[in-house]
Amino acid sequence: MKDVTKSFFENGKEFKVLEPLRFGLAERDFVCVVGPSGCGKSTLLRIIVGLEPPTSGQVLFEGQPIRADNPQVAMVFQSFALFPWLTVQQNVELGLEAKGTHPEERQRIARKFIEAVGLTGFEDAYPRELSGGMKQRVGIARALGIEPLLLCMDEPFSSLDPLTAQNLRDEILQLWSNPDLPPRAVLMVTHAIEEAVYMADRVIVLSSRPGRMVAELSIDLPRPRNRKEPEFYGWVDEIYSLIV
Amino acid sequence: MRGTRRWLRLLAGILVLAGLGALIVDPQGVVTAAQLTLLAAFSTARMVVAYLVALVFAIGYGYAAATRRKAAVFLLPLLDILQSIPILGFFPAALIFFVATFHGHPVGIEFAVVFLIFTSMAWNMAFGVYESLTTIPQDLEAAAAAFGLRGWLRFRYLSFPAAITKLIYNSVLSWTNGWFFLVASEVFSAGGTEFQRPGLGAYIAVAGRNGDATAILGGIGVLAAVVLALDIFLWRPLSVWSERFRMDVAAGREIPRVASPYERFRWIPRFPRARRQAAVWLRPVVAGYHRLSGRLERVYAAHPKVLIEIRRIDLAMFLVVFVIVVSTGLLGLGRMFLRPLPVDAQFLPSATALSFVRLLVAYGIAVAWTIPVAVLLGESQRASRLLAPVLELFASLPATALLPVIVGFSVFVAASFGRFGQPAQLAAILVALFSMQWYLLFNLIAGVRAIPEDLRQAARSFGLRGRTYWKRVLLPAITPSLLTGSITAWGAGWNALIVSEYIQYAGQVFEVLGLGSLLNHAVYPTPDNDLLILTIMTMIVVVLAMNKLLWRPLTRRATLRYRLEV
Repeated sequence: MKDVTKSFFENGKEFKVLEPLRFGLAERDFVCVVGPSGCGKSTLLRIIVGLEPPTSGQVLFEGQPIRADNPQVAMVFQSFALFPWLTVQQNVELGLEAKGTHPEERQRIARKFIEAVGLTGFEDAYPRELSGGMKQRVGIARALGIEPLLLCMDEPFSSLDPLTAQNLRDEILQLWSNPDLPPRAVLMVTHAIEEAVYMADRVIVLSSRPGRMVAELSIDLPRPRNRKEPEFYGWVDEIYSLIV
Repeated sequence: MRGTRRWLRLLAGILVLAGLGALIVDPQGVVTAAQLTLLAAFSTARMVVAYLVALVFAIGYGYAAATRRKAAVFLLPLLDILQSIPILGFFPAALIFFVATFHGHPVGIEFAVVFLIFTSMAWNMAFGVYESLTTIPQDLEAAAAAFGLRGWLRFRYLSFPAAITKLIYNSVLSWTNGWFFLVASEVFSAGGTEFQRPGLGAYIAVAGRNGDATAILGGIGVLAAVVLALDIFLWRPLSVWSERFRMDVAAGREIPRVASPYERFRWIPRFPRARRQAAVWLRPVVAGYHRLSGRLERVYAAHPKVLIEIRRIDLAMFLVVFVIVVSTGLLGLGRMFLRPLPVDAQFLPSATALSFVRLLVAYGIAVAWTIPVAVLLGESQRASRLLAPVLELFASLPATALLPVIVGFSVFVAASFGRFGQPAQLAAILVALFSMQWYLLFNLIAGVRAIPEDLRQAARSFGLRGRTYWKRVLLPAITPSLLTGSITAWGAGWNALIVSEYIQYAGQVFEVLGLGSLLNHAVYPTPDNDLLILTIMTMIVVVLAMNKLLWRPLTRRATLRYRLEV
């Protein structure tokens, strides 16, 4: 990702959302972008997956400019963004169908990832019949289903209650620790500093409006991490002081 | 399952026996019944054809308006105008056009009738599609894009399902509108000639002219049965099913878990073997289709510019057509004003005023009775159970079908006023009333039912009762639905003018001065195109002025102040 900026124009006036940013992701990277609300984190993620064009600069994926429908990049949304008229199975199969996967193959892969997120038995349920945590599991299964190289998550735990969110975090780390499962790299956007320190190998800290990269930190704590340890709090406090 | 089928067979047997019995006792009656069934089938077929065309149109138009921002600049205002013009006014012109195109062949009349019904169905459905497509949550759009849904797949999994709820809701409204125009259009005079196509509407109208009470009631009865049957077996199951496609799932709202709208009608034979066979035959077609759409997808993916080019070309074509239509219209108008105005044009101001007053009186009566009834039905389960079916039965009858009954009633009532009785005036107002009131009633009932239970309980716990309860809770809460109902009701009222101010009944003509009767004079007995155009234009101007100056600002204020949101 090279020198990406983003501005919005309104009545001829320019509003800078993101100052020039530059960073890269490598194999087996789990990177978190943290920053206060309204610092352009979500915009950044939308630019990275190609949903929005940058005002200037370029996002490169394996040397090529990124495109929204790139099947090697998958996205998990804060609002889950499940299709209310499709069952769990159909939601998970959706990206595979767009990829042109054969129906039987599609069904097999979808079942595998539904099982991986622990939703076996709910294949024929509709999203509105599921709890928040279960909905986000479907969102994750759908993203993993297209077997992406890069998984992007936009505040995936923000609309869940704290207990559910913590369980799901551990489950995602569990899935991540299994090298047989996709993806090869994860990029997550969050405003919760603790969450970033708990999950990421690297944390990119953005300042508030316009978004500017303040620091890039490598969290070298051993996994599984313990929230109660002083080292953990050391990291949290450092990031906190960078933002304020 | 099996039990139901046995009952069905028994029922069919009884019906056949009853039919045979009737044939012996009253052969004439059986012939009439068979004839009525056939006419009902003709009328329904016209409705179905018009509806399917409207459906395709609505999806295409709504989709284009929602996805092509440049095209939307004209598409939306155009739709707005089309929706507010009284289309029945254009029918004579459409009829003459179609009949001329087909060199007087009856097929031309069929086209004209279907076209008229289409125009009564299409606009609100197109708006429904547009609204649902523009309110798809941003994240869902993003998910569709991120997972690579494009073209047909995107339409099938995102756009179409997102539009279903509003599409079905508007279809029910359109279907009701359709009956009104179907009945009005099966017999029509234009350019000095009368055109007629076999159907229930024509049957009732002819019976009315002859003053044949049995035939009138028979026709209306069959019409009511058809309308109600379609409502029960088609629209209600579809409405229940469409709830599944709702985006906003408010807490406590029960969404039925039905896979198919026809879960309740499983006993209807479905011919699984024949369907399987058909699927086998159709397999090459389906496969070919998938291959083709796959290839197209690949072309688009490889050359993203192609799609943009295609859009540009079709926008250009649309612009050319638009410019041609508008300029010919303006030219025609310019030429018309160079000629001296038709003699009857002097009546236009008074006709407009009179028609407006008639609609206002009808609207006043409608509001006066529908508000209390709606509150009663909305608040009391018991009243709703008892009254709702009766009201729905009446509402199922289009006002155009009731014309003969209304005139008969008006003559009877007017007679008791002696010299001062004016049956034509009374009939014109009653027809307008019957066209307007149901839209108000059903919108208001929905409004009363939408008042949240905790708001009601809060009102009760603070001891609000009687007048204060009406003033502080009920009336503000139903204001938005009163406005929605009023807009639709007035739209229906303007259309009703054309049939209500000039009625033939039992060999007599009942006529009052108004825009509707002027329109009739413009086409019958001697056609006068200038008068026709002037009258239609006056009507359009009045309707648009009311929409822009009255309803639009009121709705905006009401949604700001009285929206029920937590």
